[in-house]
Amino acid sequence: MIKLTIDGQEVEVEPGTTILEAARTLGTEVPHYCYHQDIGIDGNCRICLVEVNGNTDKLTISCKQPCGEGMDVKTESDAVVKARKGVMEFLLINHPLDCTICDQAGECPLQDYSYHYGSGDSRFVEQKRNKRKKVEFSDKVVFDGERCILCTRCTRFFEEVRDCRPIGVENMGGKSTITLGPNGPIEDPYQLNIVDICPVGALTSQDFRFKQRIWFMDFAETVCPGCAKGCNITAGAYQGKLLRFVPRRNPDVNKSWMCDDGRLSYDDYNITERTRGAKVAGADASFEEALAKIGELVGDGSGVAVLASTSDTCEELHAIRTWAGKVGVTHLWHGAETWEGDDFLKEEDATPNTAGAQRLGFTPVPTEAPSLRGLVVAGDCPVPPALLADLDFLVLQAPVAGELGEAAMVLLPGLTRVEKKGTWVNCLGHAQKVQPALEPGPGVREDWELWRDLAGEDWTTLKAVTRAMEAASGSSSDTPLVASES
Amino acid sequence: MKLSNVISARFDKEGSTKLKGYREDGGYETFLKVLKEKRDPAQLIDEVKTSGLRGRGGAGFSTGMKWSFVPKDSPKPKYLCVNGDESEPGTFKDRQILEKDPHQLLEGVGLASYAIGAHTAYIYLRCEFKQGIATVQKAIRKAYEAGLFGKDIQGSGYDLDVHLTMGAGAYICGEETSLLNSIEGVRPYPRNKPPFPAVEGLFACPTIVNNVETISNIPHIIKNGADWHAKLGHAEDPGSRLWCVSGHVEKPGVYEAETGFKLQDLIDGPCGGIRGGKKLKAIIPGGSSSKVLLPDEVAQVTMDTPGIRAMGSSLGSAGIIVLDETTCMVDAVLNLMKFYAHESCGQCTPCREGTPWIVQILERIERGEGREVDLELIEDLASNIEGRTVCALADGACWPLVSIVKKFRHEFLAKIPAAARKEAVTA
Repeated sequence: MIKLTIDGQEVEVEPGTTILEAARTLGTEVPHYCYHQDIGIDGNCRICLVEVNGNTDKLTISCKQPCGEGMDVKTESDAVVKARKGVMEFLLINHPLDCTICDQAGECPLQDYSYHYGSGDSRFVEQKRNKRKKVEFSDKVVFDGERCILCTRCTRFFEEVRDCRPIGVENMGGKSTITLGPNGPIEDPYQLNIVDICPVGALTSQDFRFKQRIWFMDFAETVCPGCAKGCNITAGAYQGKLLRFVPRRNPDVNKSWMCDDGRLSYDDYNITERTRGAKVAGADASFEEALAKIGELVGDGSGVAVLASTSDTCEELHAIRTWAGKVGVTHLWHGAETWEGDDFLKEEDATPNTAGAQRLGFTPVPTEAPSLRGLVVAGDCPVPPALLADLDFLVLQAPVAGELGEAAMVLLPGLTRVEKKGTWVNCLGHAQKVQPALEPGPGVREDWELWRDLAGEDWTTLKAVTRAMEAASGSSSDTPLVASES
Repeated sequence: MKLSNVISARFDKEGSTKLKGYREDGGYETFLKVLKEKRDPAQLIDEVKTSGLRGRGGAGFSTGMKWSFVPKDSPKPKYLCVNGDESEPGTFKDRQILEKDPHQLLEGVGLASYAIGAHTAYIYLRCEFKQGIATVQKAIRKAYEAGLFGKDIQGSGYDLDVHLTMGAGAYICGEETSLLNSIEGVRPYPRNKPPFPAVEGLFACPTIVNNVETISNIPHIIKNGADWHAKLGHAEDPGSRLWCVSGHVEKPGVYEAETGFKLQDLIDGPCGGIRGGKKLKAIIPGGSSSKVLLPDEVAQVTMDTPGIRAMGSSLGSAGIIVLDETTCMVDAVLNLMKFYAHESCGQCTPCREGTPWIVQILERIERGEGREVDLELIEDLASNIEGRTVCALADGACWPLVSIVKKFRHEFLAKIPAAARKEAVTA
């Protein structure tokens, strides 16, 4: 271990820890632009300069400098603050200062640090430099050369994370700018990550740009519902409509990244028409009537199967299996949806909780399914046509009924993947907390409540379901079903 | 003023570039003797250290010391890179060596490679040196043909391959880590140090980067011994250097002299004084990236590291730029700053944004639209650039700038309208 002093506080760190990282452990965030913890260190922006051992002639970049035994580091000394103000001034003299129309406004470190190290007026009385604007790097990403501060996070993301070089720096000195390479538009299916890591508004998403100021939006820290990887995301919505998914850092799952397909899947959940209230034989019914009808249809459970969606949360699935166990339904199957996966983050399994369903005892639909009297579909999932062949009855609980709804004896509403609260277990076995990004509106009950009522349990809160599930399934640290609180 | 001829001894000989002539003059004997006797590389490094040789590229770091930083126990290959990207304004000495005595350099390459344990050496030349490139290329070929390079040189068991590589016209590639990136084929941004090239350089392997003139000194030092070299010129900065004199003297050119002479003597003697009998205004003594000297400082200064430091400047690449009384210093510094702004690689913020800003301010002053506060602004901007960047390009831009603004403030004020002077603004 290495012992050093940062702003008068002693700290012990592992050898190789940088000053910036060491300062973080003390709660001191040294300003930075080019440094990003999930791509290699470059050291070009110079805003993270700190004073080491009183040397004010040469300041040290804290993002790259490893801590040394006995170092005396000052992160806010006079020399440091002067240098940092200098860097801010240099970055801003040719910056268009068009925050009022810039999508980055509100989540822009250039803005944030301006409050600390910027000046209310400018010493720059010259003509600002013009660079290329509104350059389409692809049908997903637009580049503005004048806003760019040339931190090269974007080019380094492709080189270091994606092993390709669709963009690079052209020209030199003040004329430097990011440019498309000779092979034309960026094709990488992870390219929208450069919009997130761009510390300014130089790279914007064709999909999100000009849609909404972020301070008017509502955010939910949740998990991407697009595939079994379960990349951690922040879902952003405005007035009940999802506008974007952006990755949220989780070093064990997705670091700071997510795939473009998952990111752009947000709009699939902005549904306009959905099932509201219950129906029995095509006629509106109360929830009580609908549940009573299900009990009547299922009877002793023989010849009945449950087909649960793998986007249902573990809590929902536990409520379903509790009911099934009580009425004697023994076929507990889970649905499956696939899309094209890749070798980075995107999984072929296009549902978020297959691992959770399997831990709770649900199995894939057998290839030679027994002939059924009745089928209970719980949640949003495709139903194999073979299962529907000789049914006496179909119970369907889903946010959107579709054609199948007409065949359902009992139809119940349900939550979409972004309205759920509970736990999903990803393909790596991590149990992750899911938070609702949208409200379902009137005529829709929480899925777990429906199944609880059917099962006749007295769980009053989601927490109670979670506890019951833990008790019943023996959730362990090896195969958790409940997300840890951290 | 006594001139010397160690490096330049063979420059004016007929056929000085030819292998035959070089060998007739005793060339490559030192290299082959070292190989034959299987001299201890560590002892060669000590020899160079004791000789007191300092790098001739600009920073003036002890060559032997630099060599000794190469880790002995590294399993990685080691490389020697010869920096012939000579692009410092006012500097044109390496070019003489390349065009006039390439084998002297190549023998140095052989000795230096052997000393640091390298089996591959790169000679990196600026692309505009058409003649130098052709001459060195031919010399390398001849050396290979004569069995001086290649596998198992003269049965010694020592292998050495020497490659010639070229830049594409950027000043920054003379910065040693940019040069390494350029050889590797990536964008030649300077690298943050540490790690220093001696530990992690070319292809992340231990690498020594030395200037052409530095390497050309090696055969002489190994041949004549460290003590011989240590006694040349000034005791603390010994050696015989090529001095490039340009600008307003009667006889500009490259002069070889041992360190420690008086600058005034070089100007008045071999250089024939200021052109047309005019008066001296200023000298930038170490390539453009050094602080300017006034005539009274020129009269006192001796050309060695301690002597020039005492005057607050540096020897740099020994490019002595002489400016006479007809020179407009605002114009001169604007010209220099345009160079630095143009050649800034653009990697780090203070240099990329600061140097063009300073050009804009100076241009405004030149147009007669300056303000007196601009002079303080320039100095403050320079203080936010110097020592805040990855490499020394920005430092090199600030040194002449700040020193010229300080020492020739009256010339700047003369271009500033009376209404923009401080008295007028505060009144």
